[in-house]
Amino acid sequence: MRLPRLLRTTPFRLTLLFLAVFAAAASAFLAYIYLATAGEVSRRADASVSREMTSLAALDRASGAMALRRAVAERSSGGGAFLYLLMNPDGRPLRGSLAASPIRRFDGDSDWVSFRLTVIGRDGGVTTRPARGLERRMSTGELLFVAADVGEAESYVVRILRALWGAGAMVIVLGMAGGVLVSRGVSRNIASLSEVIDTVRRGNLSARAPIKGSGDEYDELAAGLNEMLERLERSIGGLRHAGDAIAHDLRSPLTRLRTRLEAAMIEADAGRGDPRAALHQTLDDTDGVLRTFSAVLAIARLEAVRDAPDQVLFDPGVLAAGVAELYEPVCEEKSLDFKVEITPFLTLKGNREFIAQAFANILDNAVKYTPAGGAVMLRVRRRSAGDIEMSVTDTGPGVPPAERERIVQRFVRLESSRTQPGAGLGLSLVAAVAGAHRGRLEIDEGPGTLDGSGPGLRVALVMAAQ
Amino acid sequence: MRVLIVEDDIEAASAMALGLNEAGHETRTAADGEAGVVAAMAERFDVMIVDRMMPRLHGVAMVEMLRRQGDQTPVLFLSALGEVADRVTGLNAGGDDYLVKPYAFAELIARVEALARRRETGSVQTVLRVGDLEMNLIGREVHRAGREIDLQPREFQLLEYLMRNAGQSVTRTMLLEKVWEYHFDPQTNVIDVHISRLRSKIDKGFDRPMLQTVRGSGYRLEA
Repeated sequence: MRLPRLLRTTPFRLTLLFLAVFAAAASAFLAYIYLATAGEVSRRADASVSREMTSLAALDRASGAMALRRAVAERSSGGGAFLYLLMNPDGRPLRGSLAASPIRRFDGDSDWVSFRLTVIGRDGGVTTRPARGLERRMSTGELLFVAADVGEAESYVVRILRALWGAGAMVIVLGMAGGVLVSRGVSRNIASLSEVIDTVRRGNLSARAPIKGSGDEYDELAAGLNEMLERLERSIGGLRHAGDAIAHDLRSPLTRLRTRLEAAMIEADAGRGDPRAALHQTLDDTDGVLRTFSAVLAIARLEAVRDAPDQVLFDPGVLAAGVAELYEPVCEEKSLDFKVEITPFLTLKGNREFIAQAFANILDNAVKYTPAGGAVMLRVRRRSAGDIEMSVTDTGPGVPPAERERIVQRFVRLESSRTQPGAGLGLSLVAAVAGAHRGRLEIDEGPGTLDGSGPGLRVALVMAAQ
Repeated sequence: MRVLIVEDDIEAASAMALGLNEAGHETRTAADGEAGVVAAMAERFDVMIVDRMMPRLHGVAMVEMLRRQGDQTPVLFLSALGEVADRVTGLNAGGDDYLVKPYAFAELIARVEALARRRETGSVQTVLRVGDLEMNLIGREVHRAGREIDLQPREFQLLEYLMRNAGQSVTRTMLLEKVWEYHFDPQTNVIDVHISRLRSKIDKGFDRPMLQTVRGSGYRLEA
């Protein structure tokens, strides 16, 4: 048999456990109260009986049997707190306010005995009251039993006990009720979360957990879950996009490759042309396809993640200087005026390799498109807004404003650049690298038209400083 | 030189073997990591080419196992995984070089030969000599036929790498990785320009050029 849902919940089970521990503690506490109150009362009653017995025994030793008998007779009739019975050595009553001893053995000192005392009230009604007493053998061999009516004390103890039981029951009932309340609250919070998880499991990644706004741990959990779903949805979307993009981007170069091979085969079959030349060409084409594939994959991966992997802190100036050093001879060979302006000791967090590659792509473009005699200026600086700019400005033909957004897209190559090598992926990678570092790619006008050159182009990788 | 190829793609392995045999090297192949360990322990090789992803025992585990047994044979990892973290894992496991698939034959052979060469010159050298070219690694000086050649720091590093691999082809990618420590290919032939600068310094005024271009592969420094 399955328990009702509420009773199966973890909070409820925890409540039961808590209740068990709490009840044990409460029992110990109540037991202590019992000992300290009820126990104390009976101990006091016993002590007064003992004292009475001691004083009578002392009288017996000091003044003899007759004095004892007299004292017992006196005290019995005095209406005092104690009950007495003096018996001869074989237990026959001699004097006293009791008719018979509750102790049936007459061999001397006894332990404490509790017994019921029958009392005839003034109205003639018969009641019994609890009493406690003990028996001692006197110096003459007679037996003396002294007892006290402990009815008052007993009823006090009973009241305490009743109160304690009541308190125990209350502990359990309140604990149970609290547990049910707590587990219902927890269950309600958890239920909304598991509902979201269920929805996601059924394939709907857009489900989000409600946030109550109380800022408690359930809100934290819901916010965490929502953020995780956000990322998941984004990266799955990114991967889907990447898959589509790769399929699309590779189809055309592969088709070209296949066509070339087919043409070469037809030529070879016809005995025309040199198959070796065709093979060489195909090898070059394949390298091109592989390069494109690597670039497209890198771009797609970067687009699919929110943050680039393997990020470290580094000085962007040092990185840019390294890339500049790589390109400096090319600039010199092309008689480009190459200037480098680097603010030292800046700090950037990112994937060094991707950023180096992105910056190399920017510089590569500038060197490629700036005609001989032009200028290329590399700059790394901190902007007044705090962002770090890694830019390259050239005096080449530039890109018309209307085209600037388009050149960032994959495989877009402007008509004027067809004669230059490249697949048209350079700036797409730069944009992807910028995106994976929460930065941006800025493309704008260079220094303007001067002596027939220009207007030039300024391409900047802008990222937040650390 | 004897090369062990550990690669589960049989076609790729036999193509590699063909290329290496053509270049005058002897090869053995193993189809997975376990077979690779057995082969490496049975014979002595100059270089091992190890694919990272293989059935039974993958490349990284295989190399770790061999290194624990004291095998110091240089290892070239082949992998389709090319990110920084992947390379670091491979090199930490005891790999000496890392080549990302797909690769050109010329690249593979050049790297294998560079690894074998590195092993031969195990001792620490302070002076490198190739023909009449002499490089003092401590004084940071280069002389050719007694004439001092003034080099920029990067040119010095470039020449040092070429001298350490003298007589062998080194590819542009190898130079970018080993001298500049970049793992991407620039579209512009930046390396060619660096090489021609270096060439103008060490070969200008001498009858016999030492720094040669190897068609379809890269460069070679000849004594």
